[in-house]
Amino acid sequence: MKKIRIFLAVLACKTSRWLLRLLGGGGTDFPGRVALALCPNLLGELAKNVTTILVTGTNGKTTTSRMIEQTLADSEISYFANKSGANLLSGVTAEFCAFSTLGGKCKKSVALIEADEAAFKAISRFVDAKTIVVTNVFRDQLDRYGEVTHTLGNLRIGLENSPNATVCLNADDSLCASLADTAKNVVFYGVNVPIYASRVAELSDAPYCLRCKHEYEYEYITYGHLGKWQCPSCGYARPDPQAAVTSIAVSNADRSEITVTVDGTPFDLTVNLPGGYNIYNACASMAAAKASGLDLSVAAAALGHFSCGFGRMEKFRVGKTYARMILIKNPAGCNQVLNFLTQRRDPFVFAACLNDRAQDGKDVSWIWDVDFERLAQMGDTLQRVCVSGIRAADMALRFYYAGIPAEKIEVCDTYDALLDKFAEQTAPIYVMPTYTAMLSLRKICSKKFGLKAFWE
Amino acid sequence: MELNICHLYPDVLNLYGDRGNVLCMQRRLQVRGVGVTVTGVSVGDPLDAAKYDLFFIGGGQDFEQAVLLQDLTGAKTQAICAAVEDGKPFLAICGGYQMLGKSYTTWDGQECEFTGALDLWTVGGKKRMIGDYCFTCDDLGGEPVVGFENHSGRTYLGASVQPMGKVLAGFGNNGEDGTEGVRYRNVFGTYSHGCLLPKNPKLADLILQTALARKYGSFDLAPLPDTLEQTAHDYMVKRLLKK
Repeated sequence: MKKIRIFLAVLACKTSRWLLRLLGGGGTDFPGRVALALCPNLLGELAKNVTTILVTGTNGKTTTSRMIEQTLADSEISYFANKSGANLLSGVTAEFCAFSTLGGKCKKSVALIEADEAAFKAISRFVDAKTIVVTNVFRDQLDRYGEVTHTLGNLRIGLENSPNATVCLNADDSLCASLADTAKNVVFYGVNVPIYASRVAELSDAPYCLRCKHEYEYEYITYGHLGKWQCPSCGYARPDPQAAVTSIAVSNADRSEITVTVDGTPFDLTVNLPGGYNIYNACASMAAAKASGLDLSVAAAALGHFSCGFGRMEKFRVGKTYARMILIKNPAGCNQVLNFLTQRRDPFVFAACLNDRAQDGKDVSWIWDVDFERLAQMGDTLQRVCVSGIRAADMALRFYYAGIPAEKIEVCDTYDALLDKFAEQTAPIYVMPTYTAMLSLRKICSKKFGLKAFWE
Repeated sequence: MELNICHLYPDVLNLYGDRGNVLCMQRRLQVRGVGVTVTGVSVGDPLDAAKYDLFFIGGGQDFEQAVLLQDLTGAKTQAICAAVEDGKPFLAICGGYQMLGKSYTTWDGQECEFTGALDLWTVGGKKRMIGDYCFTCDDLGGEPVVGFENHSGRTYLGASVQPMGKVLAGFGNNGEDGTEGVRYRNVFGTYSHGCLLPKNPKLADLILQTALARKYGSFDLAPLPDTLEQTAHDYMVKRLLKK
């Protein structure tokens, strides 16, 4: 009976997915829901004999996953990954179905799963992960996830459901590091040196000690509430990382050159994506390699040529220039993009597309927590600011109050108009869309400029 | 001519964009040639209310709000109550709004005492009231105000205070009596993030006008074009009231 159930569920999932793609959709969520309706424990059955590496946390999940994926590919391990960003229980189930036989046997030996920090709690009931990476914990879309302590609680439950996992935790994040007591085996990772010479003004998401509520002290801050922290009152402090960034030689508009030291062995490596937050992702992927028993030299080399996830600094040609698309979700992530942009010395065009659908976060007020004032201080290096999306008017208002002159701000009512505006530019363009804005933008981009469909 | 703004607990009560209200007030004063200084007063800092002409309090996460409750009792509570009675203007949002009330009772019955500056109290619920919303502002002749609410506390007003207005779409103070926010002397309290003032420029000017008039006698703020402000405001009014 169980076998028939699994067979039917996998079949229904595969068929509906095939049909949806035929009709031109991405089809990553609905087929999973169909399968789960037919067999609620389907994920548990499919994941039984697969080694699973799971990546969760607020920011950096997709990029870290792509880095680990490159290591798996270069190690010639047979694997599959939930690449399309379908990171809820239904989407993950659909991915497992796609790589299973109709009898419910997985055709690959490793599953690399990116899990939404809220869905992680559910997924961990079915999947016994070997390695779990928690990237960081920031406040994110309060209408959806609630406060950071709530997110932390969800992660805690997920880790408690995974007693056999080696857990990679960000030592520089006092919230993330506090999860260490849930795991038998922990690999801490962190950045031992400051990243930016000057940073944007950020609000801390965790200024007070989680244990005794006293204010933390920092020897240095890398960004947000990350850095070398300690509580002067109760002694709670940043643990020493086993995988640590020990030097940053180069960090420019295209890449970073860093040294990551794992258990005393230094690896000089190139991260082929710019931005200080990608240095963290790189370090997390080295920790994951250590935890999973992968070859560390292969993991280090993989960082130089992995392909980024869609909308993660993804570069594409537009008319005479190029654009980089950077997904934004929350103040912490957005401030890191600004830390990157404010170091640019050559003129550029900036665009922001703000939507307020469920996946974007319905509450757009977080844009007021981002230090856009720093963009205004860049003078003529910032040539123009284009805004679009459902809440373009709110975005325009934010830039105006940040001190960007009204004549520099251009409101484009449609994405077509925005892309036409892009095609007129000669300077590089950095475009920051929220999630659903990115999906729409990509669709029109691929029509106009020939980008890959997002599930490929 | 100058206003001294006190931003209470800026590093703790900073949930989703509330600091935008301070940025907005600063900017709207500066373009009219009025000087403005903003002073943050946080945990452990003494509050000398006489130094300030206008007070702003935002909302915070539960964990951080618990950190400051101890700090808020005693001298700070006395200073805040005296300033309110003295007619100093306040803008308080969400958690800050609740803190100006008498108490907060959690849904499982634990009562927590607040400043008691205003005759209102809050009872925690299990269901969060979340979403874009719209309400009238009586002081602006019924002009609609737009914002975003996200609270599980239900706030009830006593007889000695007035609501800011009536809910046109959304939940408001408690999702039951159709009221939103509070008005008492020169205090404005509301659940509205959004952030509130940038896209409700008339409300922003009303608060600034109140502060300037109290300090300098009568004072007329020159009107601003407010094109972007009004566009953002009207878009949300239309979207919410069309249904």
